[in-house]
Amino acid sequence: MIIKSTVDMTRQSDDVIVKTLSRLLIPFIQIYALYVIAHGHYSPGGGFQGGVILGASLILLVITYGLDNALRRMTERLNTILCSLGVFIYAGIGLLCVILGGNYLDYKELDQILHVGIAQARSLGILGVEVGVGIAVMAVMVSIFLDIATGGLPKK
Amino acid sequence: MEVTILVQAADESFRILEESRNRARQVLDTAARLTSEAQILQRKRVEAIFKGAKQTKADVIKFISTFILLMGFWLLLSGHYDLFHISIGVLCCGLVSHISHNLLFANPRAGDMRVIVKRFIVYVPWLMYQIIMSNLHVARLALWPKKLIDPKIIEFKSKLESDISMVTLANSITLTPGTITVDVKDGVFYVHAVSKKVAEDLMTGEMEDRVAHIFMEADHVYVQDILDMAPIFVELK
Repeated sequence: MIIKSTVDMTRQSDDVIVKTLSRLLIPFIQIYALYVIAHGHYSPGGGFQGGVILGASLILLVITYGLDNALRRMTERLNTILCSLGVFIYAGIGLLCVILGGNYLDYKELDQILHVGIAQARSLGILGVEVGVGIAVMAVMVSIFLDIATGGLPKK
Repeated sequence: MEVTILVQAADESFRILEESRNRARQVLDTAARLTSEAQILQRKRVEAIFKGAKQTKADVIKFISTFILLMGFWLLLSGHYDLFHISIGVLCCGLVSHISHNLLFANPRAGDMRVIVKRFIVYVPWLMYQIIMSNLHVARLALWPKKLIDPKIIEFKSKLESDISMVTLANSITLTPGTITVDVKDGVFYVHAVSKKVAEDLMTGEMEDRVAHIFMEADHVYVQDILDMAPIFVELK
């Protein structure tokens, strides 16, 4: 049995305050999310937190401006690709360390291909892993939300 | 007998002549119509190209201004000013500007951004003063032994037009203690006021006037507005 969602997600919010404020806030939420991802190895935060914030900004867009507007920026196809790309980056960096002769996710082995010194190699390695985690978490969050919002039915 | 045949033949030839003339006229008409249609199509295509170019230009301006704003925000957050972190910042700002360049500046008007920012900065201290005054008033309401509270919902039609000015007014009302914007529907504000005094203060419309002044709306015409409009008129000519 197909359960249709009771809320029509293609509808825009009709509250001028909510619409305008989310319009002004969404770019800053997104840049904040990317900041959290990119500075995860210096300060609190990291891939998961940043990815969730990034996903939340897209979910806010769906709630206020409707599903169509959000899908114009982030299609379901691109979302699925990003979902697997994030996992691929994470696992790829981990396996690269194994191939170079270390343990899984042992970033110091990346020095052999980057030539930047062991400390810098560790920093870059963890940054790459965080970017992968961020992309995957964002895509999965949006994917879960879209599945619930559309009642699991594919978009025509 | 022969005369009749001759007359018939003449009639027939006239009929054929007439028919062929009609057909020729039809063909000519069709050709003319097709030509004019082709011309209209051509003109429409040129117009579309021009419109597309204008749209692209507007998009680029929106992209650049969004990028600059976001880069400032990034530098404020980051605190690491080496080449590596700034280049990551440029990448991230470019990405976000690409995704949401039409959100931040959804409907800007020509060349009035600087004036709006200047007037908004002047507006903030006045709002602070209002907040302090209503704070004292609400404190008096709460501490006074007699019951002075008289809550009600007032509604008024606003003369503001754009969404951003309505939001500024609604949030200013909510920020001021004693009044809360419940809803804004089609320019009508529904405001909950805690006492008669704050309701009357609101109904004088001073706050609305000031917000209209910031965003250059309603019956507020200023020299700066006319100066801003001048290039548009030149373009129209």
